[in-house]
Amino acid sequence: MSEDGGFLPAPVILDASVLTEAVRGDAGVLDLILGYDVAGQPLLMPALAVVAASLDMRSDDAAATLRGLEQLENVSVAPVQGADQAVRLAAVISRTGLDPWDAHVAMVADAEVCSILTLDGRKWREHESDLDDRLHYVEISDPDDS
Amino acid sequence: MTERKTRVTVTIDPRLVAYANELVEAGKADSVSAVLNGALAEREARDREALRRIRDIAAQADPEKVARMRAHVDAQLAALPASHRRR
Repeated sequence: MSEDGGFLPAPVILDASVLTEAVRGDAGVLDLILGYDVAGQPLLMPALAVVAASLDMRSDDAAATLRGLEQLENVSVAPVQGADQAVRLAAVISRTGLDPWDAHVAMVADAEVCSILTLDGRKWREHESDLDDRLHYVEISDPDDS
Repeated sequence: MTERKTRVTVTIDPRLVAYANELVEAGKADSVSAVLNGALAEREARDREALRRIRDIAAQADPEKVARMRAHVDAQLAALPASHRRR
């Protein structure tokens, strides 16, 4: 709850598809993220999703984009901290068959009880029931494109 | 820089202290404090440049398209269960 007694928005997780597109220089995705940051929406970048985006584009500019996102006021990186979290991540990978970065996104969404912001709704639709509690995702798309 | 410095106590890896002392002894830095000040200033500049980069790219976005995407995302966020919307 916020200091004035109101409710705070739950965090939203940026998945590998969103971070990869940001790293590729998609102005619309970056502008959307900046807009949510300015609005005070907490955003989480799971460390392994950052790895996926960094693997997609190996350059100083790509690294600078990821560093820039981390500097935003309402953006935090969710690490894999300690052996317990690493073992839990392995369990999510084993159970879902997801790539490690997507499994990390799923693990954080499950632990933090929050939704996943993605450009790949189809992937999360396939995996939304893989864990005990349903995974919720929000797809970025322009309705005018469909 | 004319601004008054602030004294702080920090813990630094011994090898980095040794390196800072080497720089001072070699005349490449005025003091260990100057080395640390320079390193932090570099980090600050790098972080600011990274922020400027993403803001510059975002400024090239089509505002109408972003507004449509945002409205679409907002509608989906509003439809989430309360547990996933607020704390």
